Amino acid sequence: MGNLPLNIDVQQILLHLLNFAILFGGLYFILYKPVRKILDAREEHFKHLEEEALGKIEESEKAKEEYAERLKNADSEINAKKEAAGKETFAERERIIGAANDEAAKILKKAREKAQSEHDRIINDAQKEIADIVNEATEKIVLRSDLDTYDQFLNAAKKEEADE
Amino acid sequence: MSKKRIIVSAVIFLAVILGLLAGIILTNNPNHVEEETIQEVMKDAVLHDHVKISLFGIKEVNPGLISAFITTGIILTVAIIIRIFAVPRFKIIPGKFQIIVESAVGLFDGTAKGNSPHKFKLLRLYMFVAGTYIFVGTLFELFGVQAISTTGKPISLGAPLSDINGAIMMGCTTYLFLLINGLVVNKAKGFFGVLKDFSLPISMSLRLFGALLSGALVTELVYYFKMTSFFIPVLVGIAFTLLHALIQAYVLTMLTSVFYGEATEVHEKKVKVKKEKKNKNKNLTSEVV
Repeated sequence: MGNLPLNIDVQQILLHLLNFAILFGGLYFILYKPVRKILDAREEHFKHLEEEALGKIEESEKAKEEYAERLKNADSEINAKKEAAGKETFAERERIIGAANDEAAKILKKAREKAQSEHDRIINDAQKEIADIVNEATEKIVLRSDLDTYDQFLNAAKKEEADE
Repeated sequence: MSKKRIIVSAVIFLAVILGLLAGIILTNNPNHVEEETIQEVMKDAVLHDHVKISLFGIKEVNPGLISAFITTGIILTVAIIIRIFAVPRFKIIPGKFQIIVESAVGLFDGTAKGNSPHKFKLLRLYMFVAGTYIFVGTLFELFGVQAISTTGKPISLGAPLSDINGAIMMGCTTYLFLLINGLVVNKAKGFFGVLKDFSLPISMSLRLFGALLSGALVTELVYYFKMTSFFIPVLVGIAFTLLHALIQAYVLTMLTSVFYGEATEVHEKKVKVKKEKKNKNKNLTSEVV
């Protein structure tokens, strides 16, 4: 292999190759691999951040849609709530009026009963008083009476008997 | 900065430059005879017939091999320094230096992914290492590292890939890389797909060699004549070498990426397409009927 043209020497080519192989291995282990590791770690880091950001964007989009939907339904929901509240108020009013009516009826009934009992008591008292007055008057008459009166009475009784 | 200070600085600078020029002219020996003709210099730059360097006394090698070893040493030393002092301090939110290192490591990610979307991890590593080697190796000639040849003359070491053996190694290694990956991913089809481009290692090797050698030759030419040794090397030496380093690293990595993409391309089964076509045809005929 000695006399190749252009001074080409296979042994020197192999020496160049050895030199390049040492450079290749050395550069790979000393510099390329550790720096590549850092680059990959950074890529991974930012990929993770991007995924997180995308997830958050997706979440916010969903929330946005949800709120938009809610806003859309808000009017009908408000109307429904108003209606429900109106119904509830009406029912409450009815209940209060009913309770008031019941109470009024009870009070009226009690008042009537009381008035009736007072009326009865007054009548009784008046009857008693009248009876007493009659008794008293009768007693006075009896005590002041004489035989004529008694006779007149008898005659009148006889007369009434004869008329019959 | 006041105007007076600027004027004083400019005067000092001009005085230094003029002094240096006077020194150079005064120390010129008119009886000096060039030891080598321009033809010999150029031929030696290409073939390294006479200028050899002893490799630890074992073998005489081209200066390019020593340049390759030094380049690898520089790259690995810088890598070790970064690994020990900078990488442990790297964070998720990077600082300025971290951005530079990460950009360098991830420089070929886009190209690798673009050309070979199915399998790009090994490709981007290869592109990173090869690109770094070509770039730093080409810039290496800027520093003019001196070595002593076997004839006892001091020489300035050039780019590792301006040595034909270095360029052949790079071209053939890239071709082997493509072959093996084609075989792994697409089995025999991938292997033979790459194998049919048998001119690839030759073209890659000679392209690298030619491009880097032309830079070296222009530099040799410029430095050979005294008249062109002033000011012009500032452009030729620095601007051309920088451009060279970038362009060569870019060209080889791009070519590697494109061929790698072809070799590892996952082909879809044609049977499915045929079936689909048949189904379509059936549907059409039934519609027509």
